[in-house]
Amino acid sequence: MDTSNPAVFVNAEFLKQHVGRRVRAVVQVMQSDGDKVIGKSTDEQQLVVKGYPPSPLSTFVEVIGIADTPQSIQAETWTNFGDTFDVTSFDKVCRLANGDSKHLFI
Amino acid sequence: MITSFLLFFLFLYSQNRDSQTLIPLTVKQISEAFQSSDDKTNFLIDGVDVNNVKLVGILFNKAEMLTAVSFVVDDGTGRLDCFRWVNEAVDTKEMEALTNGIYVRVHGHLKGFQGKKQLMAYSVRPVDDYNEIASHFAEVIYVHSYNSRLRKQQDSSFMSAQVPSSSFNTPLKGYQASASNQFPGFNMDGIGGVHKMVLDYLQQPSCLALEKGVHRNELAQQLRVPSEKIMEAMEALESEGLVYTTIDDFHYKSTANA
Repeated sequence: MDTSNPAVFVNAEFLKQHVGRRVRAVVQVMQSDGDKVIGKSTDEQQLVVKGYPPSPLSTFVEVIGIADTPQSIQAETWTNFGDTFDVTSFDKVCRLANGDSKHLFI
Repeated sequence: MITSFLLFFLFLYSQNRDSQTLIPLTVKQISEAFQSSDDKTNFLIDGVDVNNVKLVGILFNKAEMLTAVSFVVDDGTGRLDCFRWVNEAVDTKEMEALTNGIYVRVHGHLKGFQGKKQLMAYSVRPVDDYNEIASHFAEVIYVHSYNSRLRKQQDSSFMSAQVPSSSFNTPLKGYQASASNQFPGFNMDGIGGVHKMVLDYLQQPSCLALEKGVHRNELAQQLRVPSEKIMEAMEALESEGLVYTTIDDFHYKSTANA
């Protein structure tokens, strides 16, 4: 049982509040180089994910890692979420997890 | 002899039913769960007895032993040690399919062991539709607010209904899948005699189906309660938001299923 290192649900807006901490975000991949991915967050802003993405990458990918700047994440874990994903629901959960229901998460 | 035996089982059954519901939780909530002192295996979360829980997270540190598999689930709020007995071939098969790093949905029994909390899993399935993750956490939030509101409303209904303080300890029913058909977040245990009779009557499917509801004279007649008492009860129930008047001030309908 260890709750010392949670990964907070974030979109681009909430990422800014968690710089230096572990976060989890889902991005729609727009561009993928060898050592970074540029993607669209669930609140439709641009995010940079640094690290080595797996190959192949699906359209939607979840990254868990450290928020190193207000616009980028240093990825530790990548999970392919497939080519269809309900971005709106995820973004709503993200808002709840940073709002009224924050105490259930962090 | 046989009857008493049956009664005993019925007793056990009714005792256990409410605490057997499968509750969606985060590891953070589990870590803060209050362990009730009378029974080592019982946890309280939002005032509700927690035994069976569901989690969605990433599987780690899978280790196979002769008759069991141990692993850790990280749901992003924390990490919880889990344990899965593998007695049958089907269990072994289910566990073999899982690799470290994949998303799983775990159902299991929450247990306190040497001061630590553990999950005795009885189902570990890979998540293949990733929308399940957001949906799980939405459910966690819903059940939390449902159970917290239930507790709050129960407390406040005690104040207004002035029931003896001994029933203050009535355990909460907790979240159940059928909850949407019940009163939204209202616990019946807190309502006094006439109030409950009236509500039960109005909640009958035949009454719920009536568009204009039920006349309060009918209630007085059917329940054999003086009409002043009915009026009192209606006023109280109306202020609690449990009933409402329909075509005139004399017809009432339950807000259940509204």
